[in-house]
Amino acid sequence: MSEIDVTEIDVSEIDALQTEALAAVAAAADLDDLEKVRVRFAGKRSRLNTLQKGLRDLAPDERRTRGQQINALRQALEAALGERRQQLAEVALDTRLESERLDLTLPPRRLRPGRPHLLTQVEQEIIDVFVGMGYRVAGGPEAEAGVFNFDLLNIEADHPARQEMDTIYVDGFDDVVLRTHTSPVQARVMTTTSPPIAVICPGRTYRADAVDATHSPVFSQVEGLVVAEGITMGDLRGTLLAFSRRLFGHEREIRLRPSFFPFTEPSAEVDVSFEGAGGNHGWLEILGAGMVDPNVLTACGIDAERYTGFAFGIGIERVAMLRHRVADIRDLFEADARFLRRF
Amino acid sequence: MKLPLSWLTSMVDIDLPVEDLVEIMSTHGLEVEAVTRPGAGAAGIRTARVLHWAPHPAADKLRVVRVTAEGGEGEIELVCGAHNFEVGDIVAHALPGGHVPGVTGPDGAKGLDLSARAIRGVTSNGMLASARELELGDDHAGILVLPADTPLGADFTELVPLGEPVIEIAVQADRGDHLSVLGVARDLAAILDTRWQAPPVPEPVAGPTLPVTLDTDGCERFVTWALEDVTVQPSPPWLAQRLAQCGMRPIDVVVDVTNYVMLELGQPLHAFDLGSLRGPSLRVRSSSGGETLTTLDDQVRELQHGDLVIDDAERAVSLAGVMGGLDTEVSAATTRVLVEAAVWDPAAIRRTSRRLGLVSEASQRFERRVDPEGAARAAARASQLLVELAGARAVGTEHVYREPTPAWSQRERIVVDPARIRALLALDLDADEQAALLARSGSVVHLHEDQHLDVEVPTWRGDLKRPADLAEEVARLHGYDAIPATLPTFEVTGGLTPTQRLERDARDAALAAGFDEALTRPFVGEHALIGVVPSDGRVRLANPLAKDAAAMRPSLLEGLLAALRRNVGQGRAGTALVELGRVFRPVDDPLADLLDAVVDADWRWRAPDGGDLPVQPRAIALAAQGLRLGERWLDAEQRWSVFDVLAVFDEVVARLAPPDAQGWHLDRVPADRPGLHPGRTAVLRLHGHEVGVVGQLHPDEADRRDLPEPVVVGELLLEPLLAVVPDDGHPPVKAVPLVKHPALSVDVALIAAEEVPYAVLEQAVREGAGDLLDGLWWFDEYRGEQIGAGRRSVALRLRLQAPDRQLTDEDAERVIDAVAAAAEQVGAALRR
Repeated sequence: MSEIDVTEIDVSEIDALQTEALAAVAAAADLDDLEKVRVRFAGKRSRLNTLQKGLRDLAPDERRTRGQQINALRQALEAALGERRQQLAEVALDTRLESERLDLTLPPRRLRPGRPHLLTQVEQEIIDVFVGMGYRVAGGPEAEAGVFNFDLLNIEADHPARQEMDTIYVDGFDDVVLRTHTSPVQARVMTTTSPPIAVICPGRTYRADAVDATHSPVFSQVEGLVVAEGITMGDLRGTLLAFSRRLFGHEREIRLRPSFFPFTEPSAEVDVSFEGAGGNHGWLEILGAGMVDPNVLTACGIDAERYTGFAFGIGIERVAMLRHRVADIRDLFEADARFLRRF
Repeated sequence: MKLPLSWLTSMVDIDLPVEDLVEIMSTHGLEVEAVTRPGAGAAGIRTARVLHWAPHPAADKLRVVRVTAEGGEGEIELVCGAHNFEVGDIVAHALPGGHVPGVTGPDGAKGLDLSARAIRGVTSNGMLASARELELGDDHAGILVLPADTPLGADFTELVPLGEPVIEIAVQADRGDHLSVLGVARDLAAILDTRWQAPPVPEPVAGPTLPVTLDTDGCERFVTWALEDVTVQPSPPWLAQRLAQCGMRPIDVVVDVTNYVMLELGQPLHAFDLGSLRGPSLRVRSSSGGETLTTLDDQVRELQHGDLVIDDAERAVSLAGVMGGLDTEVSAATTRVLVEAAVWDPAAIRRTSRRLGLVSEASQRFERRVDPEGAARAAARASQLLVELAGARAVGTEHVYREPTPAWSQRERIVVDPARIRALLALDLDADEQAALLARSGSVVHLHEDQHLDVEVPTWRGDLKRPADLAEEVARLHGYDAIPATLPTFEVTGGLTPTQRLERDARDAALAAGFDEALTRPFVGEHALIGVVPSDGRVRLANPLAKDAAAMRPSLLEGLLAALRRNVGQGRAGTALVELGRVFRPVDDPLADLLDAVVDADWRWRAPDGGDLPVQPRAIALAAQGLRLGERWLDAEQRWSVFDVLAVFDEVVARLAPPDAQGWHLDRVPADRPGLHPGRTAVLRLHGHEVGVVGQLHPDEADRRDLPEPVVVGELLLEPLLAVVPDDGHPPVKAVPLVKHPALSVDVALIAAEEVPYAVLEQAVREGAGDLLDGLWWFDEYRGEQIGAGRRSVALRLRLQAPDRQLTDEDAERVIDAVAAAAEQVGAALRR
């Protein structure tokens, strides 16, 4: 390619080149187009580049004048390119954003972790309340020795609770039952540790009750036991009040009513207050409690003269049903996924 | 125990609205279960005499009856369906405009407003009422026929207090004294600090009766009244009503009076037909077994050693305290009656009653101990009523006591320290105040100079035996409401044990994978699918609730599969369930051997005498069926697979195992198990021992259970992981330095026969790669002509890393060569 004599190009051509180049820039429809325009007017093989290279052959005066003209052209062109690039980039981004529009009101693919069973949730909540008050958690076997389930708990051999109508016995053993309460865990704790004791015993329990809307042969309890010097019935009341308020609401009150359990004396049924719709209010029985019977302490090897204690037993099903308005206890054990996933 | 209010107020001064009374009772140890008003609303019911009856001209079973009109004069005609009356009988006539409460209408509504209406062409002016229609009991076999001396034209609600409140209480096991109106009246008097009085009774009659000998300590005393000239007839309405209010059926005046007095005073009575007793003498003894007695219910009872019986001169005539004998039962022809009131050993009565499955009103009271001082009063009261209501004449009384007093009946004075009671109850009551409270319930209390209380409790309070019992009595009468609320302070710290936290972790792993937690009833029948360590061993129940619940679950799978079935029945597209709980096996089950082998700790539960309890380790099980996401995402056709179950168990072990300890992972070994798919089942081994199993249900098994395939299940014993956790938990996980050099990624493909399990290939790769291996994933499985039939290619990606340097291509080459060599050892070839 022959060298071009830059002196032969007049100013009008530079002006024309600028007009043409700026028009091309303005006409570029997208960034690819604009890049082609840049290559054509400002690339290595562009007229502008050729003219620029020709400058070095000019005389100094000429070179300055022409150089200024060409530089002005280049600057104008680059400014135009830059501006147009930005414009086109914005358009391109807008186009992309528009094309990527999602309907976020469509439901997402759901996270579907499983749900812990309602009874597990309530049990853990009860456990956490007492753990917060300083209680330890203890466990024991469900097929349990009659001695732990009954004898050590002041339930004599001919007590009605031991009869077959209430207790499920394990065949082939001398005296093994499906524990009728979690109190045998208390007996295990008392026979193996010394006061002070503050323990709760959650777990499954059994009674020979036929299945209906309010009875289940298998159910679960959280029992509590505190044995130390100077424990009073006031401590029992305060503890159960704190528990009831944590579980049912801070405005709740509790009421203790005299009752009978073989392993406590004095014994109490405990009601929690409720305020229902339409000013309806009253008391709901939630648990049984009492001061540990001295016979129990003695049977478990604890000095009943020195130590006193209280115990309580909370039916987890009952709490769950009251709090969550479960009308039929069978729903808790049928594992219908609609029920399981509700809680 | 049901307490008609009028009966109660005849023995204790109560001046309170029923609602307030009920509230006070409930908060003082007389738990009220219900207040009913049987017969409430009854109106327009008059006594009338039947003047004439004839069959209904248009209906075989109906009678057209004419009875006296209001005021006892004139005539009214009506239609009646009953046949148990004759001309001259006095009946309860419900007039048009009146109300009969005990009729249930065709729409289920209770109560009937009467009007004159035609029944098959005959106008019926009201109706003749049955006991049930007036809520006087269940009897609906015929209409009420009232005693002949009932005044005519009287308002029936004036004869008996229809609609009065009947308070039903739940009787505590230790409060036998609450099983009578008198007992409750006495306790109310103590609670309300007021007076009570028992009905006055006649003095004993000196005269001829039967001599009685007590040959057993099972009887503390025995009282009889002999009555002559007894007319066995229906009881008057007031007595029948009270029995009905208390839930007992009126029979005849003799039986009714014994029941009435039992309800009133708490002392069960028995009435013998004196004419049928051979003798003349009675003997009370303890049976040595091997004899029979036919009881009132016409059942032949075989007696056992220790059963208490009453003999006449020739034979046993009564199963004492439980049920009388048939031969000496009072009948319509009886004219001479022997009323017996005795005090029996509660334990003996309980044994006999349980063994024979014979729980009577009498046995329930004797079991809970009756007031020994009440027997004489009750016998006198019954005789008094029979004189009044059955025309009887009392001819003789006999009182016999067992000497010395049997041990079970002896009472000792109780010495208590009021300071201890005060401290225990946190109630600010001094010795005098406590003594006053105890005196209210009938105790005789002496305050000693050393401030101890000497308490002689009343004969009817068998529950008061020890200082703790008196503490409760003080608190009860003072009111539990006064006990303050305080919080104990103890020098112990609480919290979940490490094991308990790990149990929660195991559950969380399954929940995170999408399994919902189920809790199922842990009973099984004969057939049960068993997951881990199958065996026929069952922990059977001696008294199961049902045949299909005769044993404790040997595995968690059965309960979960039944739950899956219920969900399938609900039409769910997919269900995934997890259960955590104990499984139960006999002491010598193979599962016990497994636990012995794999658990390096004492995992057994024992009785205090050291005897083994049933094996009952904790386990986790999963069962899933159908679509993974359920019906909400119809585009996702992904189904639950055995790999989902395996993944959960791997995660459980990862979370529960001691950190950085060798060998704490599950080795999967293909297995063939009953009920499971032979090609899709693996046993999970920990340290070489089976601790779990995962598989797909065999098509036949799924079919048998009506479950759409595929159904996947798995069961993993948690005990091996939990039993070994130290009291203070596993050592904490230690951080490792994070290597700064980038890791090198190398892919290898191994070709081997189909029979070579992946696990074997992976193990070879691990051994070959050696220390540089930082991680390994399989990402492809290929079968095809290129590699030949019966073979497959498995592709794995290896991440290589050295702690101290950047790895090079040469390192990668060396690893690949070593992997190739190791693969060759297991019959696999590296695919170059």
